[in-house]
Amino acid sequence: MKKLQNKPDRSVVNKRIIFSLVCLVLGFILAYSYSLSSSKKISGEPTNSKFFEQEERYREDLIQQKERNKELETELVARQQQVREIEKSLSGSEEQYESLIQEAEDLRLLLGVLPSTGTGVKVQLEDAEYDPASVNPNDYIVHESHVFQVLNEMKISGAQAIAINGQRLKANSYIKCNGPVITVDGKQFPAPFVIEAIGDPSVLVPSLKLTGGVLDQLVNDNIVVTIEEKSKLEMPSL
Amino acid sequence: MWLPLLGLILGISLGLLTDIQIPSVYENYLSIAVLAALDTLFGGIRAQLQHVYDDKVFVSGFFFNIALAAGLAFLGVHLGVDLYLAAIFAFGVRLFQNIAVIRRMLLTKWTERKGTID
Repeated sequence: MKKLQNKPDRSVVNKRIIFSLVCLVLGFILAYSYSLSSSKKISGEPTNSKFFEQEERYREDLIQQKERNKELETELVARQQQVREIEKSLSGSEEQYESLIQEAEDLRLLLGVLPSTGTGVKVQLEDAEYDPASVNPNDYIVHESHVFQVLNEMKISGAQAIAINGQRLKANSYIKCNGPVITVDGKQFPAPFVIEAIGDPSVLVPSLKLTGGVLDQLVNDNIVVTIEEKSKLEMPSL
Repeated sequence: MWLPLLGLILGISLGLLTDIQIPSVYENYLSIAVLAALDTLFGGIRAQLQHVYDDKVFVSGFFFNIALAAGLAFLGVHLGVDLYLAAIFAFGVRLFQNIAVIRRMLLTKWTERKGTID
């Protein structure tokens, strides 16, 4: 600066103007970057910590929920165990209750809410051979009434679960005659009809074969009936 | 003599009072501009002490260096190469060199003056 002052006046003024401009820019840049970084420091940390806090809180919530879930699960298992024990104790203590439980199980099977496996019987109903020109075809084909007869006999004989052509019957199933096909719960099935029932074959088969019973009536109506004992049948729950 | 100081004060107050927020991407440019400005300033002081000072060189260098550094950083951001590091390195090295030269010159001057006084 001292050197500057030693130089001629005009040059000094020029230099001073230029210097002040440079100083202005320098000061501005320095101050601006300083204020920027300081403001960032101030505003940066709280947001960060706030963020962390929030995350931490969510994490704690999650952990709490998980713990609660675990507790509830163990409670559920315990309760189920309790129910089973109560059932068992009831069935153990009183014969009546045992039969009731058995009945509940049977009813569940009948409703189709439980998958069923076991021994059973398979009945196939087929239309008989006939000459459409000479005889009335209605006398030779399987009607829904025949299916009903078989079903009723099976239910009476203690069938646990029944399926027609693979369609499991529920408590509120319906069977409808639709010309050559029958409709079971909205699904159409053509002849031959395969009726499967899970139950005791030693009861089911004789009951179907009673003299003057279902089998005789069906044979009377010119229907080809095949009765098969099955050692293992499986039906899924609905 | 007071004019440059006034300019400095004005610039500082302007910078402190400015409340413009710039995106964090461009903060690199600012830091490089600061470095470039400081580098040129010390370069100017050194030149003055070495008696090779030139107004045009100083002023054009001041603004051109700032613009070049910012431009380099900009290019680096868009190319995915950290080019601003090059600017920081170059300016940093030169800054240290300039300050070292200034320090030595001042020391020699001081010892000379001491010698003449004695």
